[in-house]
Amino acid sequence: MKTIWKRAGALLLTLALTLGLACCAGEGTQNEESAGGNLSYGLSNPWDSLMPYYSLSGSNYSRIIYDKIYDRLAYIQADGTCLPRAAKSWESSDDGKAIVFALDEKAAFHDGTPVTAQHWVETIQLMTDPASGVLGQGSFACLTGTDEQGAQVAGETLGVEALEDHSLKLSFKTAVVPEEFLVEYNRDLYVLPTHLLQDIPIGELVKDDFWLKPVGSGPCKFVSEVAGSSLVLEANKDYQLGAPGFDTLTITVMDKANLLTALISGDLDYYAFGANVSEENRPTAEEAGFTVVEDSVPSTFYELMLNNSSLGTPELRRAINMALDKELLCQQSTGSLGTATNSSILPGTPYSPQPFGSYDPAGAEELVKESSYSGKQLTLACTSARASIAALIQQDLEAVGLNVEIQTVDSSTLFAGMSDGLYDMAIASHTPNALPLWFTGSRFHVDNNIFHVQDLSRYTQLVSAIQAETQDSQRLALVAELERYLGEEMPFVPLWFSNSLRIHSKTVEGIDYPASASCNENVWEWTMTGQN
Amino acid sequence: MSNGSFRRFLGEKKALAGALFLLTVLALVLLLPPLLGQDPNLTDRSAGFWAPPSPEHWLGTDDAGRDLLARLLHGGRVSLLVGFASAGLSALLGIPLGLLAGYKGQGWQFWIMRACDVVQAFPSLILVLCLVSLLGPSVWNLIFVIGGLGWASVARLVYGSTLAAKHKEYVEASRALGATDGDILLRTILPNVVAPVWASLPMKVSRAILWESSLSFLGVGLRTPQASWGNLMNSALELATLTGRPWAWIPPGLCIVTTVLALLLVGEGLRRSLNPRQGR
Repeated sequence: MKTIWKRAGALLLTLALTLGLACCAGEGTQNEESAGGNLSYGLSNPWDSLMPYYSLSGSNYSRIIYDKIYDRLAYIQADGTCLPRAAKSWESSDDGKAIVFALDEKAAFHDGTPVTAQHWVETIQLMTDPASGVLGQGSFACLTGTDEQGAQVAGETLGVEALEDHSLKLSFKTAVVPEEFLVEYNRDLYVLPTHLLQDIPIGELVKDDFWLKPVGSGPCKFVSEVAGSSLVLEANKDYQLGAPGFDTLTITVMDKANLLTALISGDLDYYAFGANVSEENRPTAEEAGFTVVEDSVPSTFYELMLNNSSLGTPELRRAINMALDKELLCQQSTGSLGTATNSSILPGTPYSPQPFGSYDPAGAEELVKESSYSGKQLTLACTSARASIAALIQQDLEAVGLNVEIQTVDSSTLFAGMSDGLYDMAIASHTPNALPLWFTGSRFHVDNNIFHVQDLSRYTQLVSAIQAETQDSQRLALVAELERYLGEEMPFVPLWFSNSLRIHSKTVEGIDYPASASCNENVWEWTMTGQN
Repeated sequence: MSNGSFRRFLGEKKALAGALFLLTVLALVLLLPPLLGQDPNLTDRSAGFWAPPSPEHWLGTDDAGRDLLARLLHGGRVSLLVGFASAGLSALLGIPLGLLAGYKGQGWQFWIMRACDVVQAFPSLILVLCLVSLLGPSVWNLIFVIGGLGWASVARLVYGSTLAAKHKEYVEASRALGATDGDILLRTILPNVVAPVWASLPMKVSRAILWESSLSFLGVGLRTPQASWGNLMNSALELATLTGRPWAWIPPGLCIVTTVLALLLVGEGLRRSLNPRQGR
């Protein structure tokens, strides 16, 4: 009898302890959720460097991080509208061959130093220095005084000038429309605290320890980082567009499949790229009380990257394109939210090519026979989240006689592997915009020849001609010519465009959800509601 | 196993039920796929993605339109192969090393036992994840890694028994009759120390199946599109599948649980029948 009482007592004690701990945990959570506290932000892939001009993957997962720490000239909305950010306004000059930006006088780096036009000039000078080793130089190739890869040409004047303390002038090789320039390049232009970088030798700049604890002038300040896992930022209360409505922003990398459950359970307040959700998870999100809204324009473009060196003939690459049942692949990936495509140009724009239609397994089989395909095993790289798409692609390609092996890797390894020529094919996705060269414009350079194209001359010639052309009708003709050439050479296989469904956060207000497609988020307008 | 031990095992009803269940699973995964004639890696375009169970697809289809029953059966082959082969590899490495450490002593004992300490001191999940990532996903790499890291516990078991056995009179008698060390180890000591290993093997098999399932669940186990019970469970990571498509993840989950349970029952039965003096 005594033993029974002892056991009952122990059980009660355990229950009381459990209950007590649970109550304590509950109180803690409530405190953390009060307005202006910590904002938990989820990201499904890690960033690869905190040096904004040294992203190996060049992925949007890195850009969305840089967007918080560093400042950009403008804020781009989903429809292409450009709003002031580091620049208050801009205007075209020199017959369209230059843009003058009026910089915001209130902008300052996180160490308190005001941002001036000279910082922008020095940033661009450093990043275009051939010895700098930066990876985003291609973004500067439009400026005068640079070569096709965006590196400074000795003896020529670089197209960047500080007219006054807060007046910046960029000069271009050809006439540009300011808004088109911003839509295309804004996401890759950041101002750096050059006054803190003076003592770093140019050859060591991109790998210097400075980037382990970086200083920027963006809406958030760096606090701490566990590389590839988590990043803690604090609100920059002095940000020129307003202080973010949170104290800290904790960015955590977690599997894509867990983002929605983490949002529902309250572990996350929001996740990157507009908190998008698959169509099949929409009912779950709505049942959990979230509002789900569909974007009006496609936010993701899927492609099958091809290694043009190992898949040496256009016939073989065209056979791959024809062998793929893109409608089925698109359905598997997006449900009813996608559109199969033969082009990287956004549907619904004046440059959109002819209607889609390429699935022809019999024709593909013929082309494989005509090509020099030796029967070797081709490697198809994909992230684990796309293993099922890869399995479908493998079946389609095997049906026309191509032997394919799938390798599941993380996204950084995938891009690095394609860059090094380790894989023959890889499935990748990108965020499109309405410009005809948003995809092709930057992929056919010597320094970014990720498709391993042997002869880039025709591509660069056509891309340069399109960039230089200001007459709409002639530009349309040139874009059509480039599309025709891409169709013949098939350096990559366009797969489909996908619209996004966005879950609106219950705990954060003021989010411009669709704008995340341009790799920028209006965190200075975010406020914590304190609700759960 | 001696006749007496075998008779005692036949008397262990739970162990017998476990063994029968395992045999049934083995027969199903080996014999049923050819009878069903479904390709586990082929998409049925007419059925579509995530089709619910139907007369054509008894367990429905997965996110690539592949028959889930065919994948469950083929996945069972892989999971059982990994389980049995890696347990076999552990025994193959661990038994001779344990024998040598126990019988030879001194340097042999020191180095082999310290190697055991090192292997067992590592956080095994992290070590296995690292090794599988390095070697790449494949069935044989999984067997190599899981089996290669499982030898230490077998060696320790054999080492302890060998230490106790080597001073027994029957060993001294063999030595006095002029038997070599090799003969003594293989013919005299091994048959007398190996019984606990047999009893532990089913548990090693079950642990290897769980390892494989965990690794495949995490997406690092096998090469796509190969199926295993673990990577079939992986689909349950998707919330819509977890909540709305129980047919996709309950069957592989049940297969893992029941197979591991059966293996544990067989192991317990073997332990009792091989060492009847231990309490029941």
